[in-house]
Formats: sequence, C-alpha cells, structure tokens
Amino acid sequence: MNILFFLIPLGLLILGLAVWAFFWAVGSGQFDDLDTPATRILLDDDDTPTSKDDSA
Amino acid sequence: MTSKSRLPCFHCGLIIPAGYRESVRIGDADHPVCCPGCKAVAELIRDSGMSRYYELREAPSPGLTRPSDNAAKKDWEAFDRPDMLERFALVQDGVAEALVYVEGMFCSACAWLIETSLKTMPGVVSVDVSPVTSRVRIRWKPEATAFSRLLQRLVELGYKPQPNTNETVDRPELGERRAALKRLIVACLGMMQVMMFAVALYAGDYQGISPQFEKFFRLVSFIVATPVVFYAGRPFFIGAWRGLRFRQPGMDVPVAIAIGSAYLASVWSMLINASEIWFDSVTMFVFFLTVGRFLEMSARHRATERSVALSQLLPNTAMRVDGATLTPVATAALQLGDQVMVRPGERVPADGRVLKGQAEVDESLLTGESTPRRRGPDASVIAGSMVLDGAVTVSIDKLGANTTLAAICRSMELARCTRPPLVRMADSIASYIVIALLIVAAAVALAWSFIDPARAFVITLSVLVVTCPCALALATPAAIATASARLAELGLLITDGSAIETLARANRIMFDKTGTLTVGKPGITRISIVDASRGFSEDDCLRIAASLERASAHPIARAFSTDNLEPVDNLSVSAGAGVSGSIGGHTWRIGNAAFASSEAADEATTQGDAGLSQIHLSCDGQLVAIIELQDALRAGAATQLRALRKLGIEVSLASGDTAMPVRNIAQALGIEDYRHGMSADDKLAWLREHQEAGERVVMVGDGINDAPVLAGADTSVAIGQGALLAHSSAESILLGPTLQPLVDAVQVSRRALTIIRQNLGWAVLYNLTALPLAAMGWVPPWLAAAGMSASSLVVVLNALRLKNYRPRDLLAAGNAGIRA
Repeated sequence: MNILFFLIPLGLLILGLAVWAFFWAVGSGQFDDLDTPATRILLDDDDTPTSKDDSA
Repeated sequence: MTSKSRLPCFHCGLIIPAGYRESVRIGDADHPVCCPGCKAVAELIRDSGMSRYYELREAPSPGLTRPSDNAAKKDWEAFDRPDMLERFALVQDGVAEALVYVEGMFCSACAWLIETSLKTMPGVVSVDVSPVTSRVRIRWKPEATAFSRLLQRLVELGYKPQPNTNETVDRPELGERRAALKRLIVACLGMMQVMMFAVALYAGDYQGISPQFEKFFRLVSFIVATPVVFYAGRPFFIGAWRGLRFRQPGMDVPVAIAIGSAYLASVWSMLINASEIWFDSVTMFVFFLTVGRFLEMSARHRATERSVALSQLLPNTAMRVDGATLTPVATAALQLGDQVMVRPGERVPADGRVLKGQAEVDESLLTGESTPRRRGPDASVIAGSMVLDGAVTVSIDKLGANTTLAAICRSMELARCTRPPLVRMADSIASYIVIALLIVAAAVALAWSFIDPARAFVITLSVLVVTCPCALALATPAAIATASARLAELGLLITDGSAIETLARANRIMFDKTGTLTVGKPGITRISIVDASRGFSEDDCLRIAASLERASAHPIARAFSTDNLEPVDNLSVSAGAGVSGSIGGHTWRIGNAAFASSEAADEATTQGDAGLSQIHLSCDGQLVAIIELQDALRAGAATQLRALRKLGIEVSLASGDTAMPVRNIAQALGIEDYRHGMSADDKLAWLREHQEAGERVVMVGDGINDAPVLAGADTSVAIGQGALLAHSSAESILLGPTLQPLVDAVQVSRRALTIIRQNLGWAVLYNLTALPLAAMGWVPPWLAAAGMSASSLVVVLNALRLKNYRPRDLLAAGNAGIRA
C-alpha cells in the first residue's frame, strides 16, 4: 500500500496541472463567450473568401 | 394592371416594386432585387466570395438596411484623427482595439458575414462578433487600414455601426467573470479530491486504517482544502467583513464563520491528532455556495451587456459649419457655440437653437410625442431628436451632461434609488435570520461548554453547518434562475431577478401608448372619397398616395405599401406640408389640408376627427380623398389585456399623447383607467399615487421618456424594439412583437413564487428539525454537511420543475385548469 505515498502526490500534481490549464484557458478568453462558438461550428470555411481589397 | 408580381427581394426580403427589374447573378441563378442599394450589397457580398451568407442565414434579414435608406452617409473620416482614434479604441504597440455596436445584426450568418468581410481587409488582426450582444470587437493596425474604412465596410454591408468609447472596450465584468470561473473550478476540483480522501477516512473509521495513512490523508485533505477556502472562498470573507463594517450582516457572515472556524478547527485537530477533521464539509460548502454565486453573476452580466451608455443615443459625428465649409467632427469634440448642420435622417448632437432652415423634428424618443414637431429659426432643438426633412443649422448652447437627454438619465437614476422597499426588506430579514443563527450558535456553544467542554466545538460547528441558510439562500435564486430561463424561452428577458417576485404579486400594469400598446408606426385606418366624380376608387387613391409619399422621409410615408407604384414626374417635397407630383398629366398633391388645396381646410374642420392624423389628396386643386391614419395596435393586444384582467391585474394607460387617440385606444382595448397628455414626471406621480394606494405596479414602456417611470415602478418591462436607454432602466425586456409574453410571465412568476414558498417552507422545516438535533449533539459535522447538501439538492430539483411549466391559455373554452 505504500505506493499510495507516491500515487496520491502524483494525483495532486495532475490536479495542479489541470487547474493551471483551466486558468490558462480562462485567461486567454476561451470562456468569455459561450454563445457564439456554438453556432460558429456550423459554418465551415470551405470556400475561402477572395482576399482582395480595395483599400486605396 | 393587377398582376401582383409580389416577389420578395433576394437580399432584404421586401416586396419588389412593380416595374423594377434588376437582378443579381449568384452562382447559376439570377435573383431579383428591390432597389439599387440591395443590388450593390448583394454584388459586394458575391464579389468578395461570401455568397455562402445567403445559404447560412435563417431568413432574409430585415435588419439589413438598404444603404440607400441610410440617408445619412456618415462621414466616418472624423474617426481617423489620432485624438478620436484614442477616444474610441485602445491603441497598444501599433495595434488598436475597438468595440463597435452593430445595429441590424441578428443571426449567426450576419456574424459570419461581418467577420469574414472584415478579416479580408489589410491590417486586421482579429474580429470577434457576438450576435447576442450585437457587438464586434476589432483589433487592427491603424497604419494599414483606417478606422473609417472598417466602419464604412460595415455600412456597405448594410449594417449601422456605432463605435463605443474606449471605457467600454475593456469590460470590467469580463474580469469578474474570469475570476469567478477560476474560483468555481478550484472549488469543484478541490471538493472532489477532498471527498475522495474523506471516503477513505470514513471507511477507515469502520474497517480500521493504519495511523500513517490516516495522517497522510488528513495532510492531503488539508493541502487541497486550503486553496479552496482561501482562494475560492475569499469573496465570502470579504462580503462578511463588509457586512459587519456597514452593520448590515448578510448571509456571508455565518458562512464566513462556518468556513473559517471549521477550517481552523480542522487544522488544529490535524496538528494535535484529534479524532475529527471537517475539510470535506468545508470544501463542499464552499463549492455549493460558489456555484450559486456564479449563476447569480451570469444573470447580472447578461443584463448589463444589453444596457447602453448615454453616448450611443447621440450621433457619432456631426457636420460643423466653419464659414463656408463643412467639417466632420466627432460629437465628443464639439464646443459650445459651434454651429452644426443636421441633415434629414440625422440626429441632433447637442441641445441648441436653430439658426437657419426649417425641419420636422421627431422628438418621440425623448418626449413620447408621436407627431413630429416643426422647428424653424430660433426654435430650440434637443440632443437625440431626429431631423426628418429639411436641413437645419444649429447653434449649440448645451453639451454633454447639460443636455435634456442627460437630465432624463439623471432623473432615471434618482427614481431607481427610491424604488419601493420590497427588495431592501428581504435583505434586512436575511440579516435578522443571520443574527438569530449566530445567537443560537453562541448559546449552544455556551451551554455545551458547561455540559461537556470537549464536545462544545464539534456541536457548535454542527449547528452552524446544519442551520447554514444554504437551502434557504438557494431557495429563491434557484427558482428565479429557472424561471428566468423559462421566461426567456417565452419571450421575456429578465435582467433583474427581483422582477419575478414583483410580477407575481403585481395587481396593476401601466402601459405607455405609443410603441407599447401600439406598434409606434401609423397605419391606414380609413379612406373616404370626397369627390367621386373623377372616378378614382379607394385603391387608386391609395396607390397614387403611395407613389407620391415614397419621396418623403416623414414617418407617415411608411404607412403606405410600396408595391405597384405609379411613375411620378416633377416629384417635389415641401417640408412639413406634403408632396406634389404629376401622374398621367394631372397634378396631384398630398399632405395637410392647406397644402392639398385651399378648399380642403373647411372640409377638415367639419368632418375632422382630431384624434387621427388625416392627410388630404387632391388632383388639379380638387380634393379627392381624405386618408385617415392611426397608430396600429399590437397584434392580439385586446385578447392579451383580457387575459391579464382574468389574472386579476388591472390595466392602466398613461400617455403623453393628446386626448383623442388615447381615448380611442383605451376604448378599443377596454381600458377604463387612462390619462393623456402626461409628461414623464406626471406619469411617475400617477404611478406613485397607485403605489401609495397599496398597489404593486408594473410599468411597460418603450421610450427614453419612460425611463424614469420604468425605474420608479415596482417592476418594469421595456419593449425590445424600443429605445436602448429604456432597456437599461427596465428589469425585463419584452422580445418579439406581441404582449403575450407578459401574460405568460405573470403565470410563470406566480408559479415561481409558489415554488419559492415551497422551497422556503422546506428549508425552514429542515432547519427547525435539524437545529435541535444538532444542538443536542446527535448530528456529527459530516452528517450535518450531507444534510445541508441534501436539503439544497431538494430545493434545486424543486426549482427545476419550472423549466417545463407551461402557462395556461386563459381564454380557452371551458377554462379547465390544464397544467403541464
């Protein structure tokens, strides 16, 4: 059972990593808008817009 | 002649006028369009490779205005000056970030169109479109593309952009939301971990556990629980401290005491190796409370996202008259004494006096008057009103915070501060409960310190946890959150949870007239042929009238349909009087009595009905027909008001309009309690009268002039299509074109109130039974925490039943109480 002394800290480490990853995701704005991306997935960009512009 | 080629325009969905034969080729098919503007937009969309917009959109978008309608070709260049750019965007390292409110954006296809279109422009770094809030966040390099180019592109696509000033660019609520999410995840993951170790420890209590493992699990629990308490639980401590400092102890005080003392006691108990730790109870407690707070916060943010700053009601730019030249300047840069030119379709940027020119001015947004006012030299105009025809030069005498518009905003704030005390009462009751709890806990602690000092702490802790007003605290918010979600589905957006409670108790609804009970746009009610000798039928007259009126920007012109128009020569508009033109060799004039023909003036006085707008149509100086216009009622308004009365709610009508139209509407809808000619202050006073008589009044309104009344009512509903400022002062917003959601809302709210009562009853019952048991020392803390969670769960599940609640059709035959 002594393996627990290793496995539980390992679990805590992974927990820490998960929290860190989540903080990073929140910080980079991934949770700011939960409505738009839900519809955006329906729009695939198979015809890329012609990237010409008359910005004269 | 009557070949009704009622084809809708491919782009905007409006009916194509007869005789207009333009089309746009997209893919392999030609699609008919209704005007050069739509053609241009459709071609622009096609040529930039974004034809997929037409496949993606849900319906031809009514929001896409035709650029030709955008009479005011705004001079966006004013936004390119460095000082202006700084005002509307945050510039960092050569990249600017701006938030633009885009009017006319409705579905995800619009979002796609805007995003894809802007992204093709050089220098654009990122574009985030949120159709929910109608806002676009653009990051771009100002050297590569001017701000005005981006805005112009939005105009070209048929939208109306409105840049926000940069205070709103970095949103404070965004930071709050992010912090709350982080707390939530820490509490959630921490709770799960601690629970897992707690199970091991409890199992160990029964089956035996080696001391080294017990110690180890306790240590690990401590490590995980610490961030949960001090990071996720921080707001509770802060809230408790604030409550104590201002002598208004809220729920946070016992929560903070329970969390803090249980944590410290657990740490102590771990150090001295005593028998009990309560890390599991603490983390579970923090998690449940954090979830509740998070839901509450989300609802609040949704509300503020829709509210809007004063600056958005004013035009972004104005045309300053500098001698003989016109310079576009941003409204914010105007100075007292500046002269500005306001053209048809534009809003007046500041209060001032007319120097030159004459125009009809629509002040309905501010005063609620449905008929435009005529403003000539020396007359004063107010900021935010719209010039309909004719250009005026205005000398500015009041700016920004001194304008009438700003004054209205201030009185709105004031009314909101003096809201009836229902809400505050709930707060003070909560603090009494809290104080009572603390006294009971202290008494228990004292009693047990005499009976058995060793158990005193454990028992006090159990009392605190078991009586934690958690279920009590969740009882209302859970029901309100579910009811809000259900109401949003039914068409009423709740922005302030207390609205539901008030809606359920309301016994009077006060309506504004224009734009609330009516659609706010005139419709043709009657046409009477005065001179039948010329052989024109009613249809002929209407068609001719419509053909003439298309030249006019006056709101009355919108009452006429735009199909089957006749070609008109010499079309000319006389500001404030009418339109003339020749059709088939005859000179036709349409407009007020004096304009149409001199003889018509007598007719009008003899058969005139002062409540209706009348327009006269004459041919070669001979009066032919009189057309009566009236602001049309909302579809089904009469039925819906009847349903409201059936629910025991009285209906009142308060209008700023003149006596006749108000009486007509009141009679048509069976409203007995109505008043006319009321200013915003009168309405507020009348509302207060009702409130003093002990009634709970719901105010429904749409305009900025209603904002103070909306803020002063027990609860308020703004019309979704109404002024944005009204939205920010109302607690709920009516979506969709009818008043039906109101009827549903009253029923859902009453149901919600019943559920809240059940919940509170349950929570009180639970607490009352648990308290003596805990005080007797029969409930260990873990059971207290489990009981607390179970009672919260019951409350939440009960509230979720609202999700499926279906309001009854009150006027259905038989009226049997069918309930889902």
